Amino acid sequence: MSGALERYQLPAEVRERLEELRELSKKAEGGEKGVRAQLRRAVAKCSPTVIAEASDIAQRAQAMLTGTIAAGEPLMEEALGRRLALMREEIAGENASPLEILLTERVVAGWLLVEVLEGLIAAQYYKGAPTSSRLPPSYIIQQSRILEGATRRYLAAIRELARVRKLQAGAPVQANTQVNVLRG
Amino acid sequence: MALETRGGNLYYYRSVRDGEAVRKVYVGAGEIARISHESDRLRRTSQEAERERRQAELERLEALGAPVLELSEAAEVLAQAHLVAAGYRRYQGKWRRVRST
Repeated sequence: MSGALERYQLPAEVRERLEELRELSKKAEGGEKGVRAQLRRAVAKCSPTVIAEASDIAQRAQAMLTGTIAAGEPLMEEALGRRLALMREEIAGENASPLEILLTERVVAGWLLVEVLEGLIAAQYYKGAPTSSRLPPSYIIQQSRILEGATRRYLAAIRELARVRKLQAGAPVQANTQVNVLRG
Repeated sequence: MALETRGGNLYYYRSVRDGEAVRKVYVGAGEIARISHESDRLRRTSQEAERERRQAELERLEALGAPVLELSEAAEVLAQAHLVAAGYRRYQGKWRRVRST
């Protein structure tokens, strides 16, 4: 991985903690005795650091994506920044827990990534592009896979936030996701 | 693709794939051989550059998603740990509260 991308990686210590949480969750779900209590302690201990570091990555990722789509236009960058702030406020709502705020950041970053990828890909299909720059099918398939992965992660982020909210509220879970495929 | 010199003359052949086999097809001699060879070389160079440009563009698209992927994985693990710690477990793909015994 290039040096530029390392800026957007969680520190090794946080990754280790996440791995520990993953293992404990698996064991607790498997019914191992005493593990759930151990997991509760680990969650209480690790959450603040993981949330802080992951939120930091989210902010930096959003700044990078905003910069990419704004392409040096300060007005566009400013407008996008405000749009993201509004989205954050609307999705997180009042009295959101730190976990809900992190999940909100994930939804916002996911939405922005899908928008950026769609914009960049659409630019390559511009009607006025010369026929010599026509893209081969293998390339179009690879592009579609990248966009599909980003869209899938975005929808998963929405579902996860809805699930956490409903379970925390003690209500039965049903998360429906509507995708509008036809845009004007 | 080969430019061959025989008896002081220049001949140009293109390699053409025919199923499993590769055939050598005569293109021309003399000045035609030289021009055809140069034209093929330029076309190959241009195709190679275009392939590299497309590959770089795909890598750029993937790189844009890398930080969001990192964030997604961290949030996913943490959210699930919270739910399991709060007494839930997945049952046939759905989350249910574990009955305390």
